[in-house]
Amino acid sequence: MKSILQMILVLSLLCGSAGFCLSYLKITTASRIESQALTFVQGPAILDVFKDAENSPIDDRRAFTLADGSSVNVFPCIRDGVLTGVAVERFGSGYGGDLGVVVGFNIREDTLAGIGITTMKETAGVGTRVKEPVFLRQFPGKSLPVKLRNQGGDIDAISGATVSSNGVMGAVERAAAVYEELKPLLLETWK
Amino acid sequence: MDRFLQELTKGLWKELPPFRLLLGLCPVLAVTKSASSGLGMGLAVLFVLTLSNAIISLVRGIIPSKVRIACFITISATLVVAVELLMQAYAYPLYLQLGIFVPLIVVNCIILGRAEAFAAKNPVHLAIADGLGMGLGFTMSLTFLGSIREILGAGTWFGHPVLWEGFQPFSVMVEAPGAFLCLGLILAAMNYGTHRQISRRNREAAAEAPSGCGGCQACSANRG
Repeated sequence: MKSILQMILVLSLLCGSAGFCLSYLKITTASRIESQALTFVQGPAILDVFKDAENSPIDDRRAFTLADGSSVNVFPCIRDGVLTGVAVERFGSGYGGDLGVVVGFNIREDTLAGIGITTMKETAGVGTRVKEPVFLRQFPGKSLPVKLRNQGGDIDAISGATVSSNGVMGAVERAAAVYEELKPLLLETWK
Repeated sequence: MDRFLQELTKGLWKELPPFRLLLGLCPVLAVTKSASSGLGMGLAVLFVLTLSNAIISLVRGIIPSKVRIACFITISATLVVAVELLMQAYAYPLYLQLGIFVPLIVVNCIILGRAEAFAAKNPVHLAIADGLGMGLGFTMSLTFLGSIREILGAGTWFGHPVLWEGFQPFSVMVEAPGAFLCLGLILAAMNYGTHRQISRRNREAAAEAPSGCGGCQACSANRG
């Protein structure tokens, strides 16, 4: 009986203090981890889309709440003191799970400023070709809505990687919906 | 003090974890695509191993022996999650490179092996020496293996080109089979070295005392 009590006591104490230490560490590192993740995962794609930004789109990001209650980070691009573009990250379903795409919009013309791939688990050498410039450079300047050629649009899908191409298009579509919804609010925020 | 040094240095050669004890081979084979990721993984293991040895040795008196494995795992898992969080906060590119293998340090048999075999039976300063030595040995081995694979497979070392221009990299070396090839060749070389050392020692011993068993030389002939 005594040994059982001792076991219970020691294990509870150990697990309790482990949980306490970890939650403390998690809270203290949370904001730093978020900014690190944005810099190294979304950062390169965002900077690629907004090459001529005069601000830092990542540092100036704002979180907005959508009508369905979810929250989304919006990255602004400011030139000559005026908001010229915004970017959001959305996910489409690719061949190997979620496919993250940063989609940039020119806010004056309502056109795409460009897109960049952030995270994906596509088949190496097949689906991963959505990250190649040949595919990505079709997007800048396109007006909404954008569609693949076989759906009546003018974007060429990657042959052999239809699922991955559709995943990217799905993400672009979702980003466009967010953009349409938030546009008045965005213009208000960054005057 | 002698004992401290002895525990510290045994992990560096005599009981070198991946090449002598053949422990913890999963990260050894999986993350040594480049010297820098090998070094990063090694340092993460060094940190976890030293601290887990120290903590386990500190609490070894109060842990009931029936639940000791659960306690050891809790301690090492806590340290691994801490390493994962710190790595995400301060070395994010390394975290992206190592990926799933950081949380998998928990199940690395070196950690539990040293806890059970050493830290649970020895005082704190010796447990720390053991953890440091084993961790350093592990780091050295991973960096060495990663260097060979990176130099042959990509022509670079820590990201800097080191081979002549026009060198055609053996891309198999940075793929999974390259890890097995490399490890196998290193083990073969180490075993050959050990074998030669032993046979030389035997020959010397035989030469020193030829009359010991009538000078018949039968035993050394058998050994050869």
